Amino acid sequence: MGEAKSKILIIDDEEVVLDSCTQILEGGPYHVATSMDGAFGMELVQEFQPDLVFVDLKMPGIPGFEVLDRIHGFDPTIVAIVITGYATVSSAVEAIKKGAYDFLPKPFTPDEFRVITRRGLERRKLVLETTALKREREMLREHFAAIVSHELKSPIGAVQQNLLALEHELSDQLNEDQGNRLKRMKSSINDLLELIHTWLRVISADADINKLRENFQSISVETVISKAIESVQPHAIRKDIDIVSSIEESLDPVFGDEITLMEALVNLIGNAIKYSRMGSQIHVRADEEEDYILIAVSDRGVGISDEDLPFIFGDFYVGKSAPEAERGSGLGLAITRRIVEAHEGSISVESALDKGSTFMIRLPFLNTDRHNEPVLDTGILVNN
Amino acid sequence: MTEGKKLLIIDDDPDFVEGILSILENAGYEVETAYNPKDGFAALESKRYDLLLLDIMMGRGAEGIMIARKMRKDPKLREIPVLIITGIREQIAYLFPGQPVHPHFVEVDELVEKPVEPDFLLERVSALIQAAEDRQAEGK
Repeated sequence: MGEAKSKILIIDDEEVVLDSCTQILEGGPYHVATSMDGAFGMELVQEFQPDLVFVDLKMPGIPGFEVLDRIHGFDPTIVAIVITGYATVSSAVEAIKKGAYDFLPKPFTPDEFRVITRRGLERRKLVLETTALKREREMLREHFAAIVSHELKSPIGAVQQNLLALEHELSDQLNEDQGNRLKRMKSSINDLLELIHTWLRVISADADINKLRENFQSISVETVISKAIESVQPHAIRKDIDIVSSIEESLDPVFGDEITLMEALVNLIGNAIKYSRMGSQIHVRADEEEDYILIAVSDRGVGISDEDLPFIFGDFYVGKSAPEAERGSGLGLAITRRIVEAHEGSISVESALDKGSTFMIRLPFLNTDRHNEPVLDTGILVNN
Repeated sequence: MTEGKKLLIIDDDPDFVEGILSILENAGYEVETAYNPKDGFAALESKRYDLLLLDIMMGRGAEGIMIARKMRKDPKLREIPVLIITGIREQIAYLFPGQPVHPHFVEVDELVEKPVEPDFLLERVSALIQAAEDRQAEGK
């Protein structure tokens, strides 16, 4: 691979430019092809598959900008450098905006041409390496998902099934200590299974979310919020926490997937419970604001320090202030962010240490022509 | 209630099967097992069962679904109640995107997740057998 000669294509309507460029590169580790117009140039792009293309911006026939577009349409990893007439810096800037790597003003010296060629080829090498790394990462992702799901999940599931069966069969023979040990085993295995589920969710998140989009439909924010609250209510009751929700009446529906949006909210409200003190309150609020719906989850819990704040939506982040027993996988917020983004929404947070945090999800409305109804706070007290 | 009732488990994970087999046998069911879709379907065709416990993800993919589809086409097998026992929610969501509940394969079926609590398993098995018998009694 390292021995392979780099392929360079030069597209310029001036024969003298083509000839001199070819001459300059002669003897170097290059294959050079030339074309005097864009149409034949594009044919060569497909046949010759160049690493680097020089394109004259001003040519009869297909204009240079168009050629640039077509090259990137064909293969975005091909590095393109535009050749411009003197004093046309603005068009060079335009070309770079369109994806050209650099520009070469005419007239140029052989040295200038050699240097820019070398830089262009280095760029190409980097682009290819990046693409290869990305592909590798994707493979690893897919592979890891398969390993986790088949090599870990099934046997652990089978162990759990047998523990359940044993406990059932031995229920009247086990003494209290033995029963408790069995319970602890079950609970550990259960945690492991949950963790594997979460990993699988993250790993396949991108693919899942794309699949999800195909089935988006109009859904009620109110329903999603009340279902989410209902699902975390047992945890709240255990810590004697009130979840107070105020949902603006007749909110516009959003376009999305009810189950995953609910998951996003369950994560946020679940976190709020996790990081709240016994007996405190959590507020869940939903209002229309300009052209989106704002859902805010506020707690008066431990809060997040400024230094942690930038990282909380990344994978595997676990709050340092998390109570030991409440540590999670560090994936909840990362998943939440992915879900919200799949709904064309955004998520943000405001937090102060020891004062509490407010997480805000903004989702675009489905229906933008309907006007806001008068605001009515329903102020439903859900718990107690 | 469970006496004389014959069940078939089709699941390619013998370790998992052991964990539900013992629960069902202890409850008094007569249980047979098949560890691949082919043997499983052959058993279904050759004997009469009161209920089938079916795994979805087997072999190279969702081969359990193939069995359910074949059963649906057979007027006799269609009457057997099926308890689908499957690994993950996500897999179901993946197989039937956008459907909160799984589609019905046969006349009487239900889906539970692995691992399954013994009492819940026994309750569902008995309820499904009952439902299928009621259907039969009503003459559909």
